[in-house]
Amino acid sequence: MTKFNRRQTLGLFGGLAGAAAASSLAAPAIAMNKKITVGALRFTSHSGSFIAQERNYFAEAGLDVELKFFQAAQPMAVAIASGDVDYAVTAISGGLISLADKGAIKVIGGALSEEPGIDGQKILASDAAYQAGLTSPAALGGKTFGMSTAGSSFHYMGSKVAAAEGVEMSFKPLQKVGAIIGALKSGQIDAWSIVPHIAKPLAGSGAVHIIGNVSDYLPHYQVTTVFTSAKNAADERGQTADFLAGFGKGVSDYNSTMIDRAGGDAGVDEMVDLIHKYVYTDRPREKAAPSIINGTMRLNEGSKLNVASVADQLNWFQSEGLVKDSITLETLVDTSYVDTFEA
Amino acid sequence: MSEQMKPQSGIEVRFRGGGFAPKSRRWVGPLVFVVLIALMEWGTRSGWISALTLPRPSDVLATFQDLWSTGMLFKHLAPSLTRLAVGAAIGASVGVSVGILIGLSSYIRAGLVPLVAAIFPIPKIALLPLFVIWFGIDEGSKYALIAFGTFTPTVVATYGAVDNVDRSLIRMGQSFGLSWQSIVRKIVLPGAMPGILSGLRISLAIAIILLVAAEMLGAEYGIGAYILEAGSLYDLERLFAGVVILSLLGVVVSTVIGWIERRLLGWRI
Amino acid sequence: MDLQLDRICHAYGDTEVLRDISLEIPQGRIICLVGPSGCGKSTLLRMIGGLERPSAGRVLQVGEPPKDSLNPLTYVFQDFALLPWRSVRGNISLVLEDHGIKGAAADQIIEDVLARTKLSDFAKALPKQLSGGMKQRVAIARALAVNPSVMLMDEPLSALDSQTRELLMDDLVALWTRQPFTAVYVTHNLAEAVRLGHAIVVLSRRPGEIREVVEIDKPLAERGYGDRDLEEVQKHLWTLMRDEARAADEELLDV
Repeated sequence: MTKFNRRQTLGLFGGLAGAAAASSLAAPAIAMNKKITVGALRFTSHSGSFIAQERNYFAEAGLDVELKFFQAAQPMAVAIASGDVDYAVTAISGGLISLADKGAIKVIGGALSEEPGIDGQKILASDAAYQAGLTSPAALGGKTFGMSTAGSSFHYMGSKVAAAEGVEMSFKPLQKVGAIIGALKSGQIDAWSIVPHIAKPLAGSGAVHIIGNVSDYLPHYQVTTVFTSAKNAADERGQTADFLAGFGKGVSDYNSTMIDRAGGDAGVDEMVDLIHKYVYTDRPREKAAPSIINGTMRLNEGSKLNVASVADQLNWFQSEGLVKDSITLETLVDTSYVDTFEA
Repeated sequence: MSEQMKPQSGIEVRFRGGGFAPKSRRWVGPLVFVVLIALMEWGTRSGWISALTLPRPSDVLATFQDLWSTGMLFKHLAPSLTRLAVGAAIGASVGVSVGILIGLSSYIRAGLVPLVAAIFPIPKIALLPLFVIWFGIDEGSKYALIAFGTFTPTVVATYGAVDNVDRSLIRMGQSFGLSWQSIVRKIVLPGAMPGILSGLRISLAIAIILLVAAEMLGAEYGIGAYILEAGSLYDLERLFAGVVILSLLGVVVSTVIGWIERRLLGWRI
Repeated sequence: MDLQLDRICHAYGDTEVLRDISLEIPQGRIICLVGPSGCGKSTLLRMIGGLERPSAGRVLQVGEPPKDSLNPLTYVFQDFALLPWRSVRGNISLVLEDHGIKGAAADQIIEDVLARTKLSDFAKALPKQLSGGMKQRVAIARALAVNPSVMLMDEPLSALDSQTRELLMDDLVALWTRQPFTAVYVTHNLAEAVRLGHAIVVLSRRPGEIREVVEIDKPLAERGYGDRDLEEVQKHLWTLMRDEARAADEELLDV
């Protein structure tokens, strides 16, 4: 049975309109100019998409990309499942795995992973808990740990740290990052883990303290992945490869400029200007720049994916009873697009 | 008339009084449920409803059985029912008291009615972070949210009910020299009871709605927390199982109020 | 205890309702107030019982009310004003509770007034189970329970059908004959007035003034349905009122 979804129907009309426009206007000489939608959060870790868009890497790959912004990862995953968004980057969560199980989405590459020696996610303690002796993750026993929802990446990280330290914690679901920060500052919860560009300013204010690194417990943790609908992964191989190519160039630029400093300070400045168009847009550039630079983490070159970490995450979600035991790694990941590694 | 009536050829008057009279059709309600559920089951089994759109009803039932057999049902129900009971009890009792004061005193009415009107449309969920700061992340903020949500509709229903108490009964009380206290306790309060109880139906439904919101922040167990978790995991079976529990809770609350109404308001014609 | 109305005037805003009403209400007599619609007779009754304040003039109590009177000025209302959620007994005990009369003392009073109003078998009934006539008998029993020195009756039979009205009139006469009480009885029904009134005060249309006070000497117990001499009085009252009533009626239509 042939199913038309809304996007395809729109695409059809868009194509017709595009053909009509091409006959009257001198259209740029792009082979396919295929219209796709890419979901993003306004975080520096999504810079690969921003750079590829700004520097026309998507266009060169023959894609006409529309960026669609979301407030949280969860609705973005649902938007991929519903066909409103084609590609996106987000952390592996219970929801993502469930959607993969329902045949809606596939992970096709890596985006961000922890790497020993590179500044990664931090473990935080509230001031009150810190004063009471929570100065290292070993003292987390009996404490409360913030998370957005059960089955989120925070839940995974907290659990893994607690397991490694051999302690038990209770987890408080608080839905939003803002609510977690508020609860941590006011001492309603004891601990949390978060990316460095949020962790460092918080610690600087003295209301919270950094007590450890996530990478000490999960050295090659695959934090975020590139994912798409199962249909795109299976039936639109050309388009998917084109997207990964364009995205990969953006990631390369980001790593070489921001981490390897190939372009020196001028290169960093230019890159900060570019990213500032998308991230911290409500702040002036001089205030946004330190946050953007602080938030720098190495993105996965060539969208390489650490399947061992993904497998470990899947196992953990299953052991917690958050997702079905029957789900296999193959259901979640399509490894045919990018290089994989196990670390 | 003494003459005999002769049967005449004529047109019989057409009956035109049918319809518009409500009749009891008890079986229709359950039938609608059964047909809808059967349709869902058949649709999900045959595949024209995808697993992404709706869960299979039999799977929801299995999830329910799991909840029951693992004892998790009561682990989730107990805190939720406590929150509901404490929050709604605070909200409703304060609401009834304030509503009666508004109904009785024109000063309090002038002072509080605009305030209540201002509070009513605020989505109480928006104030949740504030409540966490005020009342703590544990049970306090959850009680406060539910109490606050039930308070305003109860106030409005109560002072409306007090306004509707038959003035001639109050005048009668005054004419017999009853004290202010006696008039309020023996005439105004029972007279307003029908309105207060029908207001409570609405307030308690709102309390159930707010239960989910209250359990957004810092609840490990609870029906609301269970539904939110299922939502974030995109686990439709658990989501539906949780929603069914809330629906049943609504039916139970409505039945209890109906029972109270029959007990307390037997005097109504 | 007698009551005295001393030049009572009343106005709602610019509308003058009552003008210069002076009247004696002697103990042990039933005074009927009749008049066309809107003449202010109910307003006057509310003033006599202290439920409303006249713009000018005073209502005076002359002499002490009896010691055992719990509520010297007691109303009987047209719409009965029974609490629907209380039984017959509960409605009567309502007016005793505030005077601290409970238990055996209350039971004794309640049984007595129920017997006097022939309601002894209905003590546990709710108002919704009673007919209109019985409801009004409950209201009268309630009024008797506080042992009033003056009963203020505001069209007490107007909400009832005519047969019930006749029966209740007989009941009221029997009650008065057993133990005479003072009453101010407002009605627009002249037949009631001539059956129950020792004196009938005819008010003019708005603003209400006293047109005439008609005394009837025949003892209440001897009066009956369709008595000749009473019909004569009733005719006289009607001639007094007819033009006023028509004018009042047309005045209302103008509104």
